[in-house]
Amino acid sequence: MSLENMKSYHSSLQQALDDEFLRKTLDKFAVQFKANRQTIFADVNEKELIAEIAEAKDESLDHLDELYEQFCQHAAKKGIIVHRAATAKDACDLVCQIANENKVKTVIKSKSMTAEEIHINHALEKNGQEVCETDLGEWIIQLRHEGPSHMVMPAIHLSRYQVADTFTDETNEKQDSDISLLVKVARRQLRSKFAEADMGISGANFAVAENGTIAICTNEGNGRLTTTLPRVHVAICGIDKLVPSLHDALRVIKVLPRNATAQAITTYVSWITGAVDCQADVPERRKIFHIVFLDNGRSQIVKDRKCRESLRCVRCGACANVCPVYRLVGGHQMGYVYIGAIGLILTYFFHGHDRARVLAENCIGCEACKDVCAAGIDLPAIIQEIRARLNEEFGSPMVPALMGRVLASRKLFHTLLKFAKFAQKPVQSGQYIRHLPDIFIHGQGFRALPAIADKAFRDIWPAIKPQEKPGGVKVGLFAGCAQDFLYPGHLTAAVKVLSKLGADIKFPDDQSCCGLPVQMMGQRKYAMETAKANVLAFKNAGVDHIVTLCGSCASHMKNRYPDILADQNMDDDVKAFSDKIIDFSSFLVDVLKVKPEAFKNGGEKVGYHYPCHLVRGLSVVQEPKVLLKAAGDYQQSPEEDVCCGFGGTYSLKFPEISATLLENKLNNVEATGATYLVTDCPGCYMQLNGGEQKRGGKLKVEHMAEFLARHMID
Amino acid sequence: MPNINAAAVDLFTAKAKPVTIEVSTVNTLEEAMKFALEVCEKKTLGKSLLPGTASPDAPRKKTLAAPALDEQSWSFLADGGTKKDFEMVRGGLRNYLGGIDVTFSVADMGIADTATSVIECEKEDVRLSTMICEIHVVALAKSKIVSSSYEAESYLLTALAKDRNYTAFISGPSRTADIERVLTLGVHGPLELYLVLLEQ
Ligand code: SF4
Ligand code: SF4
Repeated sequence: MSLENMKSYHSSLQQALDDEFLRKTLDKFAVQFKANRQTIFADVNEKELIAEIAEAKDESLDHLDELYEQFCQHAAKKGIIVHRAATAKDACDLVCQIANENKVKTVIKSKSMTAEEIHINHALEKNGQEVCETDLGEWIIQLRHEGPSHMVMPAIHLSRYQVADTFTDETNEKQDSDISLLVKVARRQLRSKFAEADMGISGANFAVAENGTIAICTNEGNGRLTTTLPRVHVAICGIDKLVPSLHDALRVIKVLPRNATAQAITTYVSWITGAVDCQADVPERRKIFHIVFLDNGRSQIVKDRKCRESLRCVRCGACANVCPVYRLVGGHQMGYVYIGAIGLILTYFFHGHDRARVLAENCIGCEACKDVCAAGIDLPAIIQEIRARLNEEFGSPMVPALMGRVLASRKLFHTLLKFAKFAQKPVQSGQYIRHLPDIFIHGQGFRALPAIADKAFRDIWPAIKPQEKPGGVKVGLFAGCAQDFLYPGHLTAAVKVLSKLGADIKFPDDQSCCGLPVQMMGQRKYAMETAKANVLAFKNAGVDHIVTLCGSCASHMKNRYPDILADQNMDDDVKAFSDKIIDFSSFLVDVLKVKPEAFKNGGEKVGYHYPCHLVRGLSVVQEPKVLLKAAGDYQQSPEEDVCCGFGGTYSLKFPEISATLLENKLNNVEATGATYLVTDCPGCYMQLNGGEQKRGGKLKVEHMAEFLARHMID
Repeated sequence: MPNINAAAVDLFTAKAKPVTIEVSTVNTLEEAMKFALEVCEKKTLGKSLLPGTASPDAPRKKTLAAPALDEQSWSFLADGGTKKDFEMVRGGLRNYLGGIDVTFSVADMGIADTATSVIECEKEDVRLSTMICEIHVVALAKSKIVSSSYEAESYLLTALAKDRNYTAFISGPSRTADIERVLTLGVHGPLELYLVLLEQ
């Protein structure tokens, strides 16, 4: 099992990266999904619906026990037998017991993630029942003894040829690889399974408390046959699927299929209540209908302030569909039973901290999942929280702990950096670091790494500090560690631009790293200390705005500080600070209202890379384009908003994935014919510039501030 | 004359196309039934998915099922079908799990923005008939079409308040994209869905 330790995980990742079919399939899927999703959401108000779902789900989570009671009351009147299982094992035992009591020999299943979660097939088989999956994808992977690689399309990792081979083995007849013929094989083979089965196991997308109804969404219709033909129907359903009213379910159905497969609705939605008509050999011709509500730790998660949002999940699978890491390595490396961002989280809660330890590291923090989540879950924040907990449980990896201590202490950090500047001399070549021993930069050969600047920005500032402009917009400059020490040129360019545009610039000396790197590493304590230092540094600076040249710093300080500093008794200061944070491009366009006339436009062809935390963390979309059009000939490239693969320390931990993302990004921009590539983040800059240097490409990479400074009219 | 929401009818028709529902319009239920008979006549005889269950000697006839129809409608349909030498099926659908050619249903309601037919099918025969046919023909009165699922809420609440209920939303033929994400129709249920709108 590849999740046992980092070493075997890396080798599985490499295997996945080398799987050409998987790569092509997931690439195509990622691009098509985004476009189809956009089209299918065109006739509803996506953000509003998602916010409503989130709110309603939160409300339900507060009242799960009452909803359960209410459901039970209706169910009892209608002849439904309801059980509640505390653990996965209890649930399996219950289902086996129901099977035994009803002398069940064969079981058919329609797709249910909850049933997968408790490994019900295994339990029933051990108990002597034969189990057959009836969802086409599930059946294929069952025949192949594999796990699902996607929550909605479990066999997405397989080609038609592999499926044809599997069906050939199953039917003892040579099967053609034509997909429509393969689907017919399944139709024929599975129909007899339906006809013979004694018990049908389904999941439930909803359990409606106000009338004791469950609802099941499927496209194939196997759910309808599973709940119709066998004598016994057992629905296995997480307690988080309880909703107060039909309206809640109808609301989710407006988003779930759109997000899952870009459909307005699944082909079938079955609403089932009571012991319905059943013409098999059963008393009174009534279906024997059991519902097993599964807890398996959910009641605890409800009480877990930082993670409870994860129970809002409606299992649409979209968080995998848009995840750049999933796209490269597939679901077998990006989850255990549950796949994608939510998979990283639920593995921790349901399937062991050991497995989660490896998985929780493999999130680049790009927020693409959060941006599309049907339930508005802040998935990357929860993944970070879990990483922090795992660090506390298992001890931090050596490097992050050290780095955490260094970043949190401004003095230590600056001293160390100054020391490092001399220490790097033997390995430095111009602006880049060369020939570092492999132990420091294992797998980092795909990009040139920057050298620490001769003079940090904080040491340059006194010399370039513009004169005070009493009437100008008062703005504080937040340097962030990358630009302060690696790319002070970005900041001096920004000072030039801002001051030309009339802003009154301050640079509070006590500022520190924004704290995101340590937060990403799960170093909670240091993340808090750096946050506090920054709020205090700007408290009395007398500025109305705090500008950063880094989307990640901006989004972290604006969106996360309130939570990180929640226990520090400084809510007002934090709010005042966060409210002032703004990114460089937005500040120019939205606050300074810069006009195209401010620039001389020489028609340089320029492409743009959206930093993840700018476009998703701060929802900044238009502003950078406005600026590039004003100062150059902006060239739109495909997938401008897909992560470049940097992700802070992520690129050190998973260089194989980081390098592949980078290559895709540079290829896309180069293909437009652009000669410049601009971005708004020093991390992305480091990745893009380092990669382009290494491959000897023609693109010149610049920070937005540099590009604009070159085009300012004097 | 019952109220018809013309905008909803248009929306339904527009949304039906991308989900491979063939929509046509007739005046009466009888015409819709005639339509179903024609569809059955035109199609080729389906092959049983359960070879060995039907008597192998007798040449199979085409089968047309309509278990939910009232007496009067059933006798009209059955007459027409028998004349065309179809085997007409009104119950005992479990004996036809190998497949039937055409099922004719009448929808209780239509939801326009998803091109959904709402069909109450607590009776097992009704449920099975809509699943094991190769072609499903659904008649839907225009007056029963609402714009969105929220407008179907009170209808559904009444249905689900009963001691037993099984209501299906059906929005197209059975489909899958589980192999290489290629959309393929008819994986377990109908391969085709015809929707006949009634001018009433
Ligand atoms: S934040 Fe990005 S990398 Fe992490 S799980 Fe979400 S989509 Fe994947
Ligand atoms: S976490 Fe959100 S996006 Fe992911 S499966 Fe759940 S609801 Fe869908």
